[in-house]
Amino acid sequence: MPITGVYFVPSHPNASTALGTITERLRSAFVDEDLTPIGRWALEHKLMRDTPGCLPASANPGQQTSKPRYMQFLSLSHYPHHGFIYTSEPLEKPFHPPNAASPVPPSSAASPGAHPINSPGVVNATPQSTGSNAATPVSPTTDAMRMTSVPPSAYNTLFQHFTYACQPFWCHRLTVAVPNGAVYDMGDFRVRVGDVRQTFPAARVRGTVVEIEWRGPSVIESLPLSDAIPDADSGIDVSFVAIEESDIDAELAATASLIREFWTRLQVDGGRESILVPSLGKEIKDRLASCKRRSAVPAETALENATVQEADPDPYAGADLARQYMEALRFNR
Amino acid sequence: MHELLLFASVPVHQRHELLQQLAGLTAMQPRHCLERRLIFKAYRKPGLVTVRTGASQDLQSAELQRLNKMLNGGMYYTQVVGSVSEMDFGGAGAAPPGPDDTAMTDTNDDANAPPADQYDYAHQPWRLEFRDIPEAGTRSAVTARVMSSAALPRGDIVPPMNAWGYSFVTEYVVEGDVFIHNDIVIFLHRVLHYPTTDQEYREPRRQLPVFKDMAPLEKSGSYVLQASITVQDGSNQETMKTASQHLFGLREQLKSAVRLEQADRLSLDTRAK
Repeated sequence: MPITGVYFVPSHPNASTALGTITERLRSAFVDEDLTPIGRWALEHKLMRDTPGCLPASANPGQQTSKPRYMQFLSLSHYPHHGFIYTSEPLEKPFHPPNAASPVPPSSAASPGAHPINSPGVVNATPQSTGSNAATPVSPTTDAMRMTSVPPSAYNTLFQHFTYACQPFWCHRLTVAVPNGAVYDMGDFRVRVGDVRQTFPAARVRGTVVEIEWRGPSVIESLPLSDAIPDADSGIDVSFVAIEESDIDAELAATASLIREFWTRLQVDGGRESILVPSLGKEIKDRLASCKRRSAVPAETALENATVQEADPDPYAGADLARQYMEALRFNR
Repeated sequence: MHELLLFASVPVHQRHELLQQLAGLTAMQPRHCLERRLIFKAYRKPGLVTVRTGASQDLQSAELQRLNKMLNGGMYYTQVVGSVSEMDFGGAGAAPPGPDDTAMTDTNDDANAPPADQYDYAHQPWRLEFRDIPEAGTRSAVTARVMSSAALPRGDIVPPMNAWGYSFVTEYVVEGDVFIHNDIVIFLHRVLHYPTTDQEYREPRRQLPVFKDMAPLEKSGSYVLQASITVQDGSNQETMKTASQHLFGLREQLKSAVRLEQADRLSLDTRAK
């Protein structure tokens, strides 16, 4: 999974975007590079929001406004086998064993009943009775978002499912797209630029997005894919055993500064940065952990696993880049 | 997508004969299948949905009306389905398989996870199977309903489902045989319940009990024969009609063995109250 950074430069609906400026600055800042696009790229992003949160505050006076919850759908042409879904973590988990942080007393959550979930009101009534705790989220990190990666066919079906069957709690607010972006190779970086156009509810220009991908040496890139088989004869470097999670964090931070330096050279004003977003590198760390576990088992078992390879060798590819786009494109609406 | 269906009840003593008849009709051997079916229910935070309506002089804006309508829209139960094999059953406390037992399970095991012959929840593939309540007021003698089916990530599916607005209710297992006859999927199946234990399951089981402890929901052990056709564009009356005709054709062909008929609409109600 390459390390990336995303910048978004917003623009006024009727003004021209920063795309021309950015392309020109790329040309002038890197005179020794050949600025011919090596390819095209595209993006589509759909934003859904919790339906109650879409109501204007005047529509339901006397009720406290809750924190908005979002569900974001992203597809990228450079990850054609994945659709990304990024969802706010639930505020309450009505069907989970009570934990220490939960405001729900264990007695009520664990109360026996044939189908406790059939009456979420019963479970949720408890925090209300304890006063102002009703709106207190169970999780301390209220902005936590959950990344899910599904095949592209499922991605469209799931979006249709949520718009059809989940209207009381999910409302489609925006669709934006980069229909025709350009890809440039500049030394150790690969740059994708493109204009972001809103296509729903009304067509308008939103701004310009720049994705900067580090293509230099990287510890993270040396990690084998989650289902690769460690084989002593293949000469694959098994030095990942020495890599720690802190090394990954350090590399993410170091590469982020390289990407920032690159962006600074372009001298474009008003860009919103999205690099070190929450949970960045989660999948990489998971993969590292699974590599380490697997390196401890005999090769015989690993070979058995080879016969049941799953279709997608890296189901979480691109999750970090998707996170950065999701954070950059979550327009307030 | 739409789904058109016909159903028939098959007593347990007739199952073997019917399997042979279906194998002859479809010119294929039955494909045995076992599925875990997790039931999830849509939930929302109570107390946020009482929008002031009516008795008001000011006209609501179109946007507000639309949101209001959405807030009062239907909520549904939905299923998350995962294929398993009989070898996945008997996790905890089961006798280890004999040394000559070399068949593989169809799940994908991580090397650190239990050995390849044990159930591995962390790699269980899932798919979302949504079915709407069958359409009302159709003159046709088939059950027609909106459906969708989408692949989901492997492993623990509860956290993403919670984030999406669904909570886990319960689960069961479906055991059956599938035949394909032109555009019709024929599924002879029955529902199996997990053995009752003292432990109350608030999330999907990580281990599956011994298979012989699974008890059929219908005490006599009878099966349901389900014939279904999936139609991509349900608004196209012509395709829907053709699909119905194909189901009626199958009904005629199987007339001597079983009576395929439309299901009671309310018995297939998936709406969450």
